[in-house]
Amino acid sequence: MNLLGNVLSYQHFPIYAIMVLFMGSFLIAAFGENRRVRNILALLSITASLIFSLLLINPVILRGEIIGYWMGARSIAGGYAIGIALEVDALSLFFALLAACAIFVSGVYSIQYMSRDDNEKEYYTLYLLLCGGVMGMVLSGDLFNMFIMVEILTFAAVALTAFRNTARGAVEAAFKYLVVGCMGSTFILVGTAMLYAQTHTLNLAQLAQLVPGNMNTATKAAFALLFVGFGTKAFIVPFHPLAADAHGAAPASVSVIISGVLTKSGIYGIIRITYFLFQSMGLGTMQFLLVFIGSVSMFVCVTMALAQHDFKRLLAFHSISQIGYVLTAVGLCTALGLSAGLYHAINHTLFKGLLFLAAGAVLHETGTTDLNKLGGLARKMPHTTVLFLIGALSISGVPPFNGFASKWLIYQATYQKAVESGNIGFLLVTVIALITSVLTLASFVKVSHSVFFGQLPPELEKVKEVSWGMRFAMGIFALLCIVTGLFPNLVTTYLTEPAAAAAFSVQRYIEAMGFDGSAAVEILAGSFRYAGVWEPVSWLLVLCIALLAVTIAALAGRYDNVSLCRTAAGDSKYQLFYGGEEQSFSQLGGDDMFWGFKHNWRGYFSFMHRLHSGIVNDYALWAVADLALVMLFSLIVL
Amino acid sequence: MILLNYIAAFFLIALGMYTIVTKYNLVKTVIGLSIADYGVNLLLISIGFNPGGTAPIFTWSELDYNSFFVDPVPQALTLTSIVIGACVTAMSLALVIKLEEQYGTIDTRKIRRLRG
Repeated sequence: MNLLGNVLSYQHFPIYAIMVLFMGSFLIAAFGENRRVRNILALLSITASLIFSLLLINPVILRGEIIGYWMGARSIAGGYAIGIALEVDALSLFFALLAACAIFVSGVYSIQYMSRDDNEKEYYTLYLLLCGGVMGMVLSGDLFNMFIMVEILTFAAVALTAFRNTARGAVEAAFKYLVVGCMGSTFILVGTAMLYAQTHTLNLAQLAQLVPGNMNTATKAAFALLFVGFGTKAFIVPFHPLAADAHGAAPASVSVIISGVLTKSGIYGIIRITYFLFQSMGLGTMQFLLVFIGSVSMFVCVTMALAQHDFKRLLAFHSISQIGYVLTAVGLCTALGLSAGLYHAINHTLFKGLLFLAAGAVLHETGTTDLNKLGGLARKMPHTTVLFLIGALSISGVPPFNGFASKWLIYQATYQKAVESGNIGFLLVTVIALITSVLTLASFVKVSHSVFFGQLPPELEKVKEVSWGMRFAMGIFALLCIVTGLFPNLVTTYLTEPAAAAAFSVQRYIEAMGFDGSAAVEILAGSFRYAGVWEPVSWLLVLCIALLAVTIAALAGRYDNVSLCRTAAGDSKYQLFYGGEEQSFSQLGGDDMFWGFKHNWRGYFSFMHRLHSGIVNDYALWAVADLALVMLFSLIVL
Repeated sequence: MILLNYIAAFFLIALGMYTIVTKYNLVKTVIGLSIADYGVNLLLISIGFNPGGTAPIFTWSELDYNSFFVDPVPQALTLTSIVIGACVTAMSLALVIKLEEQYGTIDTRKIRRLRG
């Protein structure tokens, strides 16, 4: 009885949450030949992992404990950590919960979605390895262990990117991702080795105790190596082309994990090293570095997304654009900013997961993701359309969906930072964030028009709605999108503010593992209060009334319910001077919308097109150049 | 003496990166990744080295305060890193084979269907 009580103590839950995923992976590799056995094993392990993470909410977030767990009870000898540790504070648990939710929904979705592929056994093995890697990375309290988990998740992600290896560009995307991802991992390992050489420890808490007081050239270089290494995992500029390739080519259920969870683990790594290991976020220059990279990611990726005509590739660029928001908010180093950034991280996982699943549903039924070949699917797939629209409205920041709540907080945080620090640059960041949001909306208008509205191409006449299992998975994400949008106060109080507060209490983090944290640099965080009143429920009412009014107007007026179908004989839109009257509507292709904008900015777009050359050497060069610049920067300012 | 190790390690890492950036042959890219990895291994092993130390293999009765041995932690890290390096090589070569089948070339300048 005592033993059972010991085994079920919540102290062990972090390692269980990681272990069940790896166990599931190995069991499926061994016994997964039978489809039913495989599905049950996969569902069991993702559900167990979700439950263990949920059970940790009570001690870690509500009671504010920090769980320090030494594997094999090997803890501290002679003042040095000699065992491998897991350390779970509210920040770790926040990212773990995010991962567990996305893993669960995507796992449920893939049971139907992957049913037409062969080698399903290998798929689930790799999928659970990827999930276990993410889980292990965010819960780890040991820098080298983090590196191992990063390698596991990179490998699983590369293998899953190439999973449909006959699909266009899948192997190419996987190879590019492997080369640059491995360079990033090498950077992380070199950084870890250099920190170990200086401090003789790998434990995160002890590093946080020792590193800030002993800064020298080697530790500064280690900072740059770790920062750029985790940057490749978060796909922030200049690594965004790999994200576009990898998310675009991977199966949709994997894209959800790569874009919703893997990028977050990179962001988690960056928060850990900047706020905890080096405690350098108090420096204005370090804030500049993060905010600058974040803003550039935000803007460059959204413009790149506008120019895409592949559904998933477009979503992939948007994904990094939203990660730019998160990084910008995290880089502000205010309580409100960090809380807003983490809030946006939740929302990004939810709406981007929903959008990728919707794209996967379209691909599953039509066999293509080319925007120019799709159209009019709202008539054939009404549920998917509604779910997609919820995701699109969320990512574009339309009230009352969740994207608005977090973007609003980010605008306020950047503005407040500008007022407090008197730095005009942060106002510019607010403006860039606003423009990015507008461009996001523009490109989702384009997607929804060219996929779900407009005319149905004749070859898509036989398209059906996707199965209930897939709709259920999308429905979970959509519901969460609405809930997190309608009750922002609950999300900030119970999730993001404890996590943000944990990021500012480095001393507690160090002392939880039994080290002396008195030397930790305390960063003044400011308050979570924000100006302005935000009443999402009343906005929901406004939205409903507007929808009702439009419906009534449409019903009262003459509403021709004609079924439009694109003729196979070519579109009369292109017969400029003598055609066009025959058809009352003609399909506007994905490339044609916003042509004026693209024309006016043709210099910028052609420059960007040349820059994203698709040659792996160029991307490797960017990685090396990024490392060189960040290293120079950190040697000067740290 | 140990300084030479550090110089060689960082030289190897830089050489590996140089190979990846400048060579247009996919197999050479893989070789570049391996060279960088060997550099990291050398760096790790050099960090744990104590001049005059023995191998860190003891039973409890042998271990006392006069034992002088090299740091075992970097050796464990190096072993892990070697395994990962082997995986990188195997996986990237497998992808190169697939790429050659699909594109008919291993020139990186021609493998660029995904761009822009």
